[in-house]
Amino acid sequence: MEVAAATGSGRSWRTSAAASQLVWAAETVVGTILFILLLQFLFGFSIVDASLWEIYWPAFAMGVWGTLGYSAAIVPLSVVLGFTIGIARISRARVVAAPFAVFIDFFRGTPPLVIVIFAFLIGPSLLPARFQGRTLGLAVAVLALAFHSASYQAEVFRAGFQSVPRGQLEAAQALGMGPWQSMAHVVLPQALRLSLPPLGNELAVVIKDTSLLAIIGAIDLFGVSQDVQQNLLFTPGYDPRWFLIMWTAVALVYFVLTTGMTQFLLFLERRYHVRGIEAMSL
Amino acid sequence: MIRLERIHKHFGSLHVLQGVSLEVAKGEALVIIGPSGSGKSTLLRCVNLLVAPDQGRVFIDGVHVNHPSVTPEWVRQQVGMVFQSFNLFTHLTAIENVMLGPVRVKGWDADRARSKAKQLLARVGLAAKADAYPAQLSGGQQQRVAIARALAMDPKAMLFDEPTSALDPEYIREVLDVMTSLAREGMTMLVVTHEMGFASSVASRLVFIDAGVIIEEGRPEEVFQHPKQERTRAFVSKILR
Repeated sequence: MEVAAATGSGRSWRTSAAASQLVWAAETVVGTILFILLLQFLFGFSIVDASLWEIYWPAFAMGVWGTLGYSAAIVPLSVVLGFTIGIARISRARVVAAPFAVFIDFFRGTPPLVIVIFAFLIGPSLLPARFQGRTLGLAVAVLALAFHSASYQAEVFRAGFQSVPRGQLEAAQALGMGPWQSMAHVVLPQALRLSLPPLGNELAVVIKDTSLLAIIGAIDLFGVSQDVQQNLLFTPGYDPRWFLIMWTAVALVYFVLTTGMTQFLLFLERRYHVRGIEAMSL
Repeated sequence: MIRLERIHKHFGSLHVLQGVSLEVAKGEALVIIGPSGSGKSTLLRCVNLLVAPDQGRVFIDGVHVNHPSVTPEWVRQQVGMVFQSFNLFTHLTAIENVMLGPVRVKGWDADRARSKAKQLLARVGLAAKADAYPAQLSGGQQQRVAIARALAMDPKAMLFDEPTSALDPEYIREVLDVMTSLAREGMTMLVVTHEMGFASSVASRLVFIDAGVIIEEGRPEEVFQHPKQERTRAFVSKILR
């Protein structure tokens, strides 16, 4: 059964939403360029300084690639985990719900930086000796970051589930639908729509949190840039303004990644918008 | 069609239903009245097992339905229910609300369910609103969609839990009209309502329930005009005004 109504008004509303999102994207690009031009003017540097990029480029490319890789691993993993834990949390069976409440409290109540270090130190020792090595420590740390974000996302999804009025579940049951059918066709479609805005928030955070992996030697944008910065100090004829250029570029990459993610979720939010399931706007 | 035998229900230390027995014949419309907290909603929910009775037996069309061998899902397909707060599925249009049961529970294909849903929406006077979302409908329209949604399962009987209590006065009539025509067509109905006009003109019997016990039962005009019990008299005088 198609969920979207093929009403004329619905379609035109969506078109205008897509248009406004395009306008917004254009505004952001222009705004960012203007902001960088202003920075360059104020501090007297050029972001396309050839002498820096000659040194920085290989590391930069590798770093961007690494950050993309870690994000691509952590984001889907944490969403799947967070969603699963969110469902488990609303279970009426305490044996199911209680352990996950502890899980959430633990991972939400510890700084992600500490979690990363801890995972790196302890993780490998939990496995047989032949698996030991730096890569394994990193893998465990990636998993730990995913857990950390999943604990926040679980609460996002739980709030989504619990925002669906109980009466609708009763109505589904009254039609003869079983628990899983009611979940799939009545609760889930509404809970997911309600979860999208706070989920975008959390995914933006976790993309930036991948930079914490640099402390245990991950090759990501933050890590490689720090290495390059150290080396620049010993490069003959180095220019202090190079640092400014580098970190502007780094910030720009994280900005593009997180904004891309939040815009994608905003697109989903608008694509599946239904009157009556929405945040209030004034 | 519906028979309840000595139904007991506790919520914690609260003894909500204290051995209620009730029978609704095929094609009969029975109205339940009673003060809030008297257990009338719980009694209604015991019929389709949204609330499981602690003791007592529920029969629908001769089948002992609160028996371990019968699944609640099967029971609820036999009996439709309409709620005080409509409970339409917010993310679905009016017609999708009506189609959901036949498609997901009976396994009908979408075309068959759609044509049936169209008929039912026309029957409750809402053919033109098929593609509207619940948020775009008035309370009265939502409740009529909810009635169509329940009818889509071809129930043997219908339960109404204060279907007009949440409505603005101007929308009450249209919902009662739909219910009246349903009763005239011979639907077996168990209705919790305080609409005296509806009870008088449609119900064959009226039951007054208080504190989990049936206090009085009889023809509606009898109970309204010549209540035998003091508690009935006190309650009726409050709602008749």
